[in-house]
Amino acid sequence: MGLRWYHFALWGAFIVGLALLPELVSKGTLRTIIFANYLAIFAISWDVLSGRTGYISFGHPFLIGIGAYTTAILTKRFGVPVEVSIPIAVLTTMAGGLIVLLPALRVKGSYFAMITLAFMELIYQLVQVVRPDLTGGTRGMSGVPTLTRGAVNGFYLSAFLMVSVALTMWLLMRTRLGTALSAVGMNEESVRGSGLSATRLKMVAFLLSAAIAGLGGAFYIHYLGTIAPRALFEINFAFTIIVAALIGGASTIIGPVIGAFFLTFLLEYLRPYLPGAERYLIYGGVALLLYMYQPRGIYEVIRQGWARVRGLA
Amino acid sequence: MSFLDIDKLSAFYGKAQALHEVSLQVQEGEIVAIVGANGAGKSTLLDSVMGLTKTGGVIRLGDQVLTGRSSSEIVKLGVGYAPERFNLFPYMTVRDNLLVGAYTARDDIAHNLDMVHKLFPRLEEREHQETSTQSGGERQMVSLGRALMTSPRVLLVDEPTIGLAPKVCLEIAEVLRRLQREFGVTIVITEQNANFALSLAERLYVLESGHVTASGTVEELRDDPRLAEAYFGH
Repeated sequence: MGLRWYHFALWGAFIVGLALLPELVSKGTLRTIIFANYLAIFAISWDVLSGRTGYISFGHPFLIGIGAYTTAILTKRFGVPVEVSIPIAVLTTMAGGLIVLLPALRVKGSYFAMITLAFMELIYQLVQVVRPDLTGGTRGMSGVPTLTRGAVNGFYLSAFLMVSVALTMWLLMRTRLGTALSAVGMNEESVRGSGLSATRLKMVAFLLSAAIAGLGGAFYIHYLGTIAPRALFEINFAFTIIVAALIGGASTIIGPVIGAFFLTFLLEYLRPYLPGAERYLIYGGVALLLYMYQPRGIYEVIRQGWARVRGLA
Repeated sequence: MSFLDIDKLSAFYGKAQALHEVSLQVQEGEIVAIVGANGAGKSTLLDSVMGLTKTGGVIRLGDQVLTGRSSSEIVKLGVGYAPERFNLFPYMTVRDNLLVGAYTARDDIAHNLDMVHKLFPRLEEREHQETSTQSGGERQMVSLGRALMTSPRVLLVDEPTIGLAPKVCLEIAEVLRRLQREFGVTIVITEQNANFALSLAERLYVLESGHVTASGTVEELRDDPRLAEAYFGH
């Protein structure tokens, strides 16, 4: 897999850095980082599906929502313990991933993106009218059991999850499977011409993505303690995930993580100055500048900067 | 019986018929060229052998029937494909591009990689370069190399000279000859460039609007007006 000493060093430094954070920053910042951690998980999930295979999903909250609602309903309405409900949520989300896979067998590009958007709208409407006694209808649910108390514990749980997902996917994507998934994104015809099953590869990508989305969605909801359809199945949420992955560096693992932290902090630090939706103007501007300068994202900027530093040394 | 036997092959895109009962035989170890203008159905013919189109008729390789099988089975049975305009994975290194071809023949990776590097020493020098930054000739080499990574018994090459300088065309021709001579690979190419086809192949088929209009050895067809017609159009 081509592992080098500096890979271990960088991952080690990353993990140690995260573990020390609660000692270094305020509780408020820590709460912001928790959101960044979950956004990073969602961005990795999006990237496995869209960054690799090129099937751009505009409806990723569809998957996240399935995981979140499954565990919320099971724990709150049926008293199922989270040890059971979260694995069920992940499996249910994977089934949802197969639903998203169906159109990807026939259509590509913007058509696929539009269909995923429709999936998100569809579940948004359905959740409000089908069995509102279970889903909580338009209001959603509050009082979903939380797993942790306080910012520090919440941070450790989310950071542990994020690192586990990131490290697992990083290792997996360094295998030939990762290469093949990227190949699907670059030229699906040639993948088939080389004797690989594009369908099977897409299925793997969609199932992996769904599993991560389900896992992230479930833990996220057990952190928040509330679930509201309008906040979850929202186009801005979908775009934030996409922009996090793209701004950080699609088709990498650490890129979406960087992007998620960058976006979360950008939006959070702008809040005192621009409390309303104007903030999104700034973040749109930053994204635009970055794409003009380096379409491969922050990860590539850092990589090239590092190469230049090493070249000078 | 011939090695690659295409019998009354018809191919369809939806309701449009691109090939009309095309029959074509290739003997083991020979180089056969399919010559025709744009839209004659050359790429469709190769796509059909790979199981990528909807077809009627029968295609056999040795004693195996290829028709109705999946592309991945067809590759495993020994058909390698270097598609039109190379169709590489642009943001991957040369090496990764080659390795994507190697999924169906995992046990032969070292041997095949060695063969590719022998045929194209430049690919070994540039194995960490992204193919999007390479010249047309180098990309064609990667494309041929990727097809060779599948351990093919018969290699299908779609327009090997398209967009390449005459000097590079000669290099490609030389490599294809070495493949035939030293590695015993049977080769089927499609060409618009009739002169290139005449200089490389042993036998030719002329394809026009989905029909085979002429076939024969290089000597038989060299001065045939139908070849010129297919080449220059009407």
